[in-house]
Amino acid sequence: MEAVYHFLRSLRWVGDWPQPVLWALAFAVPIVFVVVVFPLIFAYTTLVERKALGRIQNRLGPNRVGRWGILQPIADGLKLLIKEDIVPAKADRVVHTLAPVIAVIPSLMLFTVIPVGSGLIPVNLNIGLLFVFAISTGSVLALFMGGWASRNKFSLLGAMRSVAQVVSYEVPMVLAAVVVVMAVGSLSTVDIAAAQAGGWANVTNWFVFRPWGFVGLVLFLMGAMAESARTPFDLPEAESEIIAGYHTEYSGFKFALFQLGEYLAAIAMAGVTVTLFLGGYNGPGCELPVVGKLIGMGWFFVKLFAMIAVIIWIRGTWPRIRVDQLMAFAWKLMLPMAIINLIVAALYHYIEPKLLAWVVSAGLLVLSWATLSSLSAPPHLQKRTYRYWA
Amino acid sequence: MTTAFWIITIVTLLGALLAVTLRNLVHCVLSLILFFLGIAGHYFLLRADFFGTVQILIYIGAVAVLILFAIMLTRNVTGEEGPREILGMKWWSGAVIAALVAGVLLHAVRRDATAAVASSAPKPLSVADLGRALVGDWVVPFEGMAVLLTAALIGAVVIALEEVQRRR
Repeated sequence: MEAVYHFLRSLRWVGDWPQPVLWALAFAVPIVFVVVVFPLIFAYTTLVERKALGRIQNRLGPNRVGRWGILQPIADGLKLLIKEDIVPAKADRVVHTLAPVIAVIPSLMLFTVIPVGSGLIPVNLNIGLLFVFAISTGSVLALFMGGWASRNKFSLLGAMRSVAQVVSYEVPMVLAAVVVVMAVGSLSTVDIAAAQAGGWANVTNWFVFRPWGFVGLVLFLMGAMAESARTPFDLPEAESEIIAGYHTEYSGFKFALFQLGEYLAAIAMAGVTVTLFLGGYNGPGCELPVVGKLIGMGWFFVKLFAMIAVIIWIRGTWPRIRVDQLMAFAWKLMLPMAIINLIVAALYHYIEPKLLAWVVSAGLLVLSWATLSSLSAPPHLQKRTYRYWA
Repeated sequence: MTTAFWIITIVTLLGALLAVTLRNLVHCVLSLILFFLGIAGHYFLLRADFFGTVQILIYIGAVAVLILFAIMLTRNVTGEEGPREILGMKWWSGAVIAALVAGVLLHAVRRDATAAVASSAPKPLSVADLGRALVGDWVVPFEGMAVLLTAALIGAVVIALEEVQRRR
């Protein structure tokens, strides 16, 4: 916001407009940016996802609307806008209507604390990361409201699953992010991104290149995917089991709003992952005086799209996990690993030659991962031999 | 600033009133969430960003979601079989307790000298100061809280274990 204000002041033909007008503009620019750019990214993420899934599953994907189906998201949006809006007769009308609205608001609010470039952040809260965790719990409320108000057993099952899932995956996710807070000593997303500058070509100081950072990235990404109900963790809307889960009874634009909220949350979580572990806007060339900010912004979006691509890739290649596996995975594997990671990060901070610290902490993490995964491996799983001929 | 204060106050009071007067249990919880949001808004208005965020994180993200989860585990999931009358038989005892708590709080706030100082010079509280105070001056209550929570956790496991064994 301040950056936009100072930029406007420095322009020759805008700089001497009255101050309140400039401030209003400085407020409007980030808001318009968040409300326009990220939903656009959402629209084209759906297209990319359908294309990529089609490629993974050996089919074509959407290819009728425009060349390579490039206008497909717009056609989808129009179709959903003019579809009939159905509310079941027994449903709770008010809550049923409120739920999709509440699904979108927290997801949009998440983008207010993600720095897309150095100094380019809508609101620089000094507790930005905590704000992310507080706001992202709002989306579970929307899922619950939608599932509960529909008065449908499948919807209610989806709502129950989503609440249980979010409650248990939030703990390891937050613990995975605390590692970064410990290393930086600040909860502000701006400080966290700035702490990863420097090193060789602005790359080697990214936290992902520390052993604890890599483990933190994996844990955080898994937690984030579980929170936004992406595929290995999409039990709340498992098509083959409970139709569409909490949004079974939604049609038209309410359904679109649910999708929008879910995708925006996933994109925002990818952005938070980039900021926390992948250096945010830092990359080769972002320290240059004038064009550096633009290059940094470019790096941020390149990394963001890379994260989105990874999430789509995981969706295309992984089966959905079972409910008992879901809970066991969160409490028996991710939570102990996150706590061990905290201790290892503290060790890394105090062991002095950093090369030694790197080797020691990497060894400790690999050892504890091997122990944990062997402890929680399912019992009596012997190799099955099939004898069809013999 | 005062306009924002009154809007937030009205929303908070509305949420609190609806939470105790609505008949459907789930509607009550949703209005309670509105009330929690209002309180968080007051914290933000007082420049206490940290408390506002923690209010959302703890009260909406944990307490309200746990209440909803508990409701979903009961047979009366739709929440429609609530009591007929809004005020139960013992409404006066609740009123007396509320009045007592309000009186004590008002007394404490009036007597507290720091309240007057703080209202004259609001200064954003830094998280670092808060953390240092928590592991410095207030370390004994902080650790006591940790012991209490661990005890509660173990107790919950013991209760759950008994139930599992009885079922077998």
